[in-house]
Amino acid sequence: MKRGDFIRLTAGMAVAAPLLHACEETKSKAVPGKIVGASAAAGHLLRDHSFNPPGAFEPKEVVIIGAGVSGLSAARHLVQNGVTDITLLDLEAQPGGNAASGGNAFSKYPWGAHYVPVPNNNLTEYLSFLEDAKVITGYDPAGLPVYDEFYLCHDPEERLYINGHWQEGLVPNTGLNAAELAQFKQFFSQINHYKYLKGTDGLDAFSIPVDTSSRDESLRALDRVTMKEWMDNHGLTSEYIRWYIDYCTRDDFGTPYNLVSAWAGIHYFASRKGKAANAAHNDVLTWENGNGFLIDALRKDLDGKIATGALATSVKATSNGVQVGYLDVATRQVKGFEAKHCIVAVPQFVAARLLGDSERGKTLHEHFHYAPWMVANLTVKGLHERAGQPASWDNVIYGSPSLGYVDATHQQVQQRKERRNLTYYLPLTHASPEAARKEAYRAEHAFWAEKVLSDLQRVHPDIREQTERVDIMLWGHAMVQPRPGMIHGEARKSLSGSVGNAIHFAHTDLAGVSIFEEGFYQGLRAAKQILQQT
Amino acid sequence: MKNTEGRHSAQWVLLVAVFIIATCGLIYELVAGTLASYLLGDSVTQFSIIIGVYLFSMGIGSYLSRFFNDHLLEWFIRIELLVGLVGGFSAIILFLVFPLAISFQPVLYALVSVTGILVGIEIPLLLRILKDKVEFAELVSRVFTYDYIGALLASLIFPLIFVPYLGLIRTSLFFGLLNVGVGLYLCRYFAGEVRGIRAIRFGGIVILVAEVVAFIFSEQIMSFSETLAYNDHVVYSTSTPYQRIVITKNRHDLRLYLNNNLQFSSADEYRYHEALVHPAMTAAGQPRNVLILGGGDGLAAREILKYGSVRNIQLVDLDPVMTKLFTGQDILAEINKHSLKDPRVTVTNADAFIWLKENKKQFDCVIIDFPDPSGFSVGKLYTTAFYRLLKTAMTPQAVAVVQSTSPYVAPKSFWCVNETLRASGFQTVPYHNYVPSFGEWGYVMARKSGSYQLPDTFAIEKKYMSHAVMEQMLQFPDDMLAHEPLEVNKLNNQALVAYFEKEWGKYQEQ
Repeated sequence: MKRGDFIRLTAGMAVAAPLLHACEETKSKAVPGKIVGASAAAGHLLRDHSFNPPGAFEPKEVVIIGAGVSGLSAARHLVQNGVTDITLLDLEAQPGGNAASGGNAFSKYPWGAHYVPVPNNNLTEYLSFLEDAKVITGYDPAGLPVYDEFYLCHDPEERLYINGHWQEGLVPNTGLNAAELAQFKQFFSQINHYKYLKGTDGLDAFSIPVDTSSRDESLRALDRVTMKEWMDNHGLTSEYIRWYIDYCTRDDFGTPYNLVSAWAGIHYFASRKGKAANAAHNDVLTWENGNGFLIDALRKDLDGKIATGALATSVKATSNGVQVGYLDVATRQVKGFEAKHCIVAVPQFVAARLLGDSERGKTLHEHFHYAPWMVANLTVKGLHERAGQPASWDNVIYGSPSLGYVDATHQQVQQRKERRNLTYYLPLTHASPEAARKEAYRAEHAFWAEKVLSDLQRVHPDIREQTERVDIMLWGHAMVQPRPGMIHGEARKSLSGSVGNAIHFAHTDLAGVSIFEEGFYQGLRAAKQILQQT
Repeated sequence: MKNTEGRHSAQWVLLVAVFIIATCGLIYELVAGTLASYLLGDSVTQFSIIIGVYLFSMGIGSYLSRFFNDHLLEWFIRIELLVGLVGGFSAIILFLVFPLAISFQPVLYALVSVTGILVGIEIPLLLRILKDKVEFAELVSRVFTYDYIGALLASLIFPLIFVPYLGLIRTSLFFGLLNVGVGLYLCRYFAGEVRGIRAIRFGGIVILVAEVVAFIFSEQIMSFSETLAYNDHVVYSTSTPYQRIVITKNRHDLRLYLNNNLQFSSADEYRYHEALVHPAMTAAGQPRNVLILGGGDGLAAREILKYGSVRNIQLVDLDPVMTKLFTGQDILAEINKHSLKDPRVTVTNADAFIWLKENKKQFDCVIIDFPDPSGFSVGKLYTTAFYRLLKTAMTPQAVAVVQSTSPYVAPKSFWCVNETLRASGFQTVPYHNYVPSFGEWGYVMARKSGSYQLPDTFAIEKKYMSHAVMEQMLQFPDDMLAHEPLEVNKLNNQALVAYFEKEWGKYQEQ
């Protein structure tokens, strides 16, 4: 026997065996599951059909279109201030918008937004909501909020599969040389500078909500370049830091770093300065059902006020208020409300159609882009683990087009979990949003299931045998993309203003970044516009 | 004519022998590689080192073949039998040696080397035996052709047929038998040409019988190797969804292992359970309702039942197999004095964290006997979140006690438990004692308020506890202190798991 032959032989076997195995598997077994939720078909009715005006109008003080975070936050604030004759209309079967969630026998799980960072301490109304939701259990003598321990993300929190090994945390460090590590150090010291920087107007350089940030010209200049250009200018060119920043901007904005505004990219890192009695500023709050938990808290006092399966079809200002038409999707009947006020808490491309306003449509078309996403929930038995950091809450694969997966059962405290539900996130950034969206709606369940499993197979070789079910949710317009000019341009401002005294707007796309706090304050702002008039 | 024919068939017999030697040799190497991957993990490293060592050893064998000058055929047969002996028993030897962890790798590489050297001698020997009988170019071509075909056959049948259907021990024995069989056949075939044929044949038959016997008893050999791992006889072992339970017994004691961690030895468990239970029970005054979390072996319950004031014991243990064993198995129930069958004891099989979250009752004394915080799951049972829940299950005067690993091996872990209880709003009393089978062991008593009074006496039947012993248990020498400020263990930092891994990891390296 000669060495060469022997090695060739052994290597051949080693390569062929898993390949044979993989072929067999993909052919023999289709993973059960289906494409769920986000009623795109019903939503497209609004785009493709014209509806008759409603025959009769039910009187109402306030009608809110859209029961996502912005709409619910507006409703909650109105009810708390004595305006109780309100109705929320939402197309979906469950309110929640991007914070939608589902569940099975093993746990609840998110279909979209799944955590909030420890809040900034100047957000009084938001903190008071979290106290109401029993997320904040009290304040320590120094005045810092104490968070319920069950809701702070449990350890181990994050891991990254890189260079054949799971490392702790998402900032790459395994297998990097000194120069590559130095770029991360440089980047984070830059971020630290921005975090505590104030503009010439005395405002924080980067703040939440976005509109409370400084409008200092030197900072606004950051909104005219992309994150990639900004990194190039700062010599942040190593493959690892580029991946990391791109991962972050895809994660928060569904936008790759070469398309996202540098201002927004930096805001992601520099706007979080929350302090807590029992958590660090980079800790997060999370629940089995993700931000579905916060949705339940927002709608706590809104029983009987939310109409689901209701597709708003028209919003028309009248001399003494506003007329709202909507389609009851179940009965296919067009109904109407005659209200004093309406809050349009849906994305602007829907708002423009409801108002039948072509001017708005034009602004929108020029300046607003929405990222399509695919989210999958997998129910899995025990998985084979590669070496390194054990299974964590957030599990990310270096170089993958996906954002990895979050374990919905992570916050459960029991010793043994029969099954785990893993929520897998894939922003569709490989093509233009329009092209990716079309492609996404055409693809079938098997295509998506295969995409998810083949990605995860790299880190869990037995994922195909161990996965019992994969459900898929497609978000055609998951979030607005903060491209250059979005934050500090005029389009956002021009669309935010009320129409007359009766029609108000609230949505994260008007903030330019899709985070919980922005939705919460968008709703608050619209509610206050109404309360000022009553 | 007849003569050429005879020579011709002799040549074929020897070539078939080459074929079988090549097959067997590679099989032994694959057995060693597979076993090393199973037992040591990291299959890439194991396989590549074993391939390297094996090929190198074959080189040594080829070199050594020059020292064989006479009686080549006899040596060829002897070596054939030796390969059958060493290779055939290689899997058994490795399985038996593995529990003696320190010596595993030297034995592994020694076996691979010996097999490699023997196989390495065979081919050159054969070439020399046949060199006068066949033309050289044809000879080399034939010998190597059969050698390589044998190798291919081995690598195909090993993973596809032998490992799945026979397992490793029987696979190596099977090929050992094949080697020996070839050796014996050669003895018969060349009976006239070989000197000392009787001795060689006798040796071959002995090996053959030994391997047949081992083949038949391979199951028993496998389970015997498991008993070696525990030094004693395994009297019971089972895997539940929660853990691997192994009970061993020798002349002196009976031991319970959960996931290979010793839980108790019947010889000295009274020291552990008296120290765990009596300080808290005595400090609690006249406890009526007692909660045990963990403790499915019923030994803590046995101690608690000694108190006349006790009306109810609620025991919560995760694993129904554990509590069933210690309720129904006579040898085991004898050790806990049938405590789990006592009418005052209620056994609930539930997750302690979930049970405590849903519990509405309050208890006068709580005994917490969880496994050590060796991972993130069990680490949750040592957090402020868990201890705050615990508080809601305690009456105002109640006392709880937590088994808190070894303050000698893991002082930071031990004091971290103490700090965590204090951060959760408890007054604590840390103490420790010596349990021979465990070493120095630590406990932390916790109550909502009030200071600890050392009792004059422990008024129950006991072998260990007394006023003087308790007084000693409260003293911590310098080598059991943490010597640095410690983090509090919370769900969102799991600081204890990190301390525990570091400290016990270092201890086990020693």
